[in-house]
Parts: sequence; structure tokens; C-alpha cells
Amino acid sequence: MSILERSASRPGSTPNRRSRQNFETWSWFFMRISGLVLFFLALIHFSLTHIFNDVTTTTVSFVAKRWANPFWRVFDWLLLALGLLHGTNGLRFIMDDYVRNPRKRAAIKAVMYSLAVALFILGTITIVTFRGNFSG
Amino acid sequence: MSPESTVYKGKTGQWAFVLHRITGFLVLMFILLHIVDVSMLNFPRIYNEIHALYGNVLMRLFEVGLLFGLVYHALNGLRVIMIDFFPGSIKNEKSVFYGIFSLTILLTIIGGVIILRPFFTGSVH
Repeated sequence: MSILERSASRPGSTPNRRSRQNFETWSWFFMRISGLVLFFLALIHFSLTHIFNDVTTTTVSFVAKRWANPFWRVFDWLLLALGLLHGTNGLRFIMDDYVRNPRKRAAIKAVMYSLAVALFILGTITIVTFRGNFSG
Repeated sequence: MSPESTVYKGKTGQWAFVLHRITGFLVLMFILLHIVDVSMLNFPRIYNEIHALYGNVLMRLFEVGLLFGLVYHALNGLRVIMIDFFPGSIKNEKSVFYGIFSLTILLTIIGGVIILRPFFTGSVH
């Protein structure tokens, strides 16, 4: 009998531990898959805005031209969503490792999850509502 | 296990892990900032003013740092995926780590020259 099985048989601890293990397995899997997708999304995005174009030329009209094609809106939205999920989950690992006080840890996580959700909404609104038909 | 086996010895796998964390954290911090500056797109004048700052030499150096973090995290992430999904596929872990690190430095130098060039040629203040 493994250590995990033995501790899982402790009264009252079974369901929680089981679902927690399940969640961590999915989290592990998600990090690899999203990481692989982000490998391409992030490096292509950086190359386009810093290498193949100088950063000073990435003005509003540059974005307007690019986002005229829905492909790039979807591309950038995927980068936003996966980047935030992958990044926030990575930050969760770091907090689990270094913040030992459970109350502090819960407070920090609440702040970072709220921030991630707020920025996801802000970024999504930006991508969806941008019209780019101003002069300039 | 002897107590010494848990002491940090600084082998390549541990350095790879530490660097993966640091670069991941820094890239996330940049993403948070970047979502906010891009959200100014519907206020074109503010967006363009903020964006002009990215052409500043200090910000360009910062972008070279971002490139280093991004490339290292991406390449090392592939190494982690190989180890996890195809156990035994990486025979010599040490040289794979050195390979990844060298490639990161090389790509950072090439990208760094391109990013910093406008500053040296004087096309940007």
C-alpha cells in the first residue's frame, strides 16, 4: 500500500484528496499542452512586434491593419487567454512552494486570481471592441 | 536517503528549474503590464504616447531581457515536455541543458542587435 493510499483511507480525507490529485494531474497536463501552443504563439508574436517590425512602428494604425484580419484577433486572444492561464497557474506553484502560512497563501491567491480575471476581461474587451477607424 | 541528499548541489537540472521559474515569473509580470498598455487602443493618442516609450533605449534593453526570458522559458519548456512525455528520450541531460542555454544566448544576441540597432544608428532618440 502506498503512502497516498494509506493517508487517503484516513476518515474524512478521501474525497478532497482524490479530487485534489485529479486537479493537479489536469494542471500538470494543461501546463505541457498550453506551453507547447504558447511556444509558437508567444515567439511569433514577439518576432512580429520586435524583430520583423521595430517596436516604434507598432502604432494604433499598425494594430488596426493587423486586426482587420480576424485571424490575428483570434491569435492574440488565444495568446491572452493561454498566457494568463499558464502564467497564473505557474504563479500558483510558486506560492504553494514559498508561502507556508495558509492564510497568507489564500489571501495572495485571491488577489492574483482576481487580477488575472480582471485583466482577462480587460484584454478581451480590447480585442473585441477595437474598431481602428480613427485617423492616426 | 541520507540528509545530504536533500542539500542543494546546483546540478544543471536544478539550475534549469530555478531559471525556468524566474523567467516565467518575469514574463508573466510583463504580460500583465502589456495587457494594460494595449487596453489603451481605444484611446489612440494615449496608446501611441505610451508606445513611443517602448522605443526608448532603457525599454529596448528591457525588451532584450524579455527576449532572453521568453526564449529560455520556451526552449526549456520543450525539454521538460520531452522528459515528461518521452521518458528516456534525453540521454545526456547536461549537454541538452548547455545546448538550450547556448541557443538562448545566441538568439538573444541576434535579436538584441536587431532591437538595439535603431538606437545606435540614431534613427531613435
